Amino acid sequence: MSSLVEIQELIHKKYGLDPATLDPHASLREAGVDSLTLVEFLFTVEDHYGISVPEKYSDIDSVAALAAAVDELRAAQTTA
Amino acid sequence: MRVVVSGIGLISPHGDDNQAMFTALLRGESAVRQVFPELPKPAAAATAAFDESRWFSKLQLAGVDRVSQIAVAAADLALKDAGLGRVSRGEALGAEPERVGVFTGCGMGGATALDTAYQAGAAGGRVPPLTIPAFMPNAPAAHVAMRHGVKGPVLTYSVACASAAVAISEAAKAIRAGEIDVAIAGGSEALIVPGVVVAWQAMQTLATFAQGEAARCCRPFSADRSGFVLGEGAAFLVLESDAHAKARGARAHAVLAGTGLSCDATHLTKPDAPGQGRALRAALAQAGLQPADVGYCNAHGTATKIGDLVEAEALRTVWGPAIGGLRVSSTKALHGHLLGATGALEAAITVLALEQGRLPPNAHVTQSDPACGLNLVGAVGEAAPDLHAAMSNSFAFGGTNSVLLFTRV
Repeated sequence: MSSLVEIQELIHKKYGLDPATLDPHASLREAGVDSLTLVEFLFTVEDHYGISVPEKYSDIDSVAALAAAVDELRAAQTTA
Repeated sequence: MRVVVSGIGLISPHGDDNQAMFTALLRGESAVRQVFPELPKPAAAATAAFDESRWFSKLQLAGVDRVSQIAVAAADLALKDAGLGRVSRGEALGAEPERVGVFTGCGMGGATALDTAYQAGAAGGRVPPLTIPAFMPNAPAAHVAMRHGVKGPVLTYSVACASAAVAISEAAKAIRAGEIDVAIAGGSEALIVPGVVVAWQAMQTLATFAQGEAARCCRPFSADRSGFVLGEGAAFLVLESDAHAKARGARAHAVLAGTGLSCDATHLTKPDAPGQGRALRAALAQAGLQPADVGYCNAHGTATKIGDLVEAEALRTVWGPAIGGLRVSSTKALHGHLLGATGALEAAITVLALEQGRLPPNAHVTQSDPACGLNLVGAVGEAAPDLHAAMSNSFAFGGTNSVLLFTRV
């Protein structure tokens, strides 16, 4: 199951970015989430799912891309 | 050139409305209460009620410590009081953005960010990635500048308890030197967190109190005084030349007629009457006033045994036979010691006293200390319709002394 909706809820709760107005494919930086704020949000996502997002995902810039990465990491966790 | 105060804004332990804050002081209402009951030793402080959502969205709050949040809010209120608005929204700042400066006093920086990071780090947990920009002591000034598009000198002064008074003094100098037209000058401090409170307790300068007596524990110039209480808040003044204020049709609250700066150069924490006296004389000289011309002093008055005694000695020495005509109060009894911001809040209180001809009280005195020998304002405010000049003292650890002397418009 995609984590998109859950991540949209997390970002709404933490930064007030409403899923109804934030296009999941839009650039988070352009929406005002700068690089360090995004790192802070990645920590929240990692804590929420009990996962660790590796370096190679550091160029993630949209909610959809983040959700896809989380799905991939969780799937790897299940199969491992 | 006459420099005037055309705006006052504050987030204080007595609220964010200038008049309500001043009225609460006149009534002798204490904002001090007990905090952090979990600490081994009882702790008291005066915190500021603050709704950050009035100034920030949740996203804007990322990496912005409370010390910067209250600075942005207080500066915004000061500009509004001066009839000015946001440059970035096309409203006037009263001058070209390059001709406006932000002069901010801050003793510590983002204490909440630092305390959180230390606790997380010590427990092996995650340290928030925005800890450093949240903590750095110049963040409050930078956030004020970004909020209003101020592009001139944006400076931070960290001079312990004199930080904000020094910032106001330096802002006035920049205006007199013709470097800028408008200054947003004041200070911000928000360090009421457990880690900082226990450090202050270890310093042995905080007032002691019995259970339930926190509100009245700070007793400046009282024979039984035992120290100060910590406070938090931010206050800013808008300063500009008299001519500049008149040209834009602004009302002035008061004239900043003289500023005096000096350093004891004797001891890091022990105050020195001759050093304080030099700052007092410098302020009088710049204002062209004699001691007898000044009717009110908002004292530094931290209510430590030695601090009040030394300040009284400095005042008596400089004022000489005129000392009986100088009414004195330390409002720290009611709003606590705002450290790096205290000079700005007390300057604001001094300006309001002058403008309204009413003196804020020296609260909680059980018996006036005869060794101090000052003419203290009583436990509630008093009328002073003939008040023409008033000053605010700020004397810092490190030995730096700052005196701000205001006169009626």
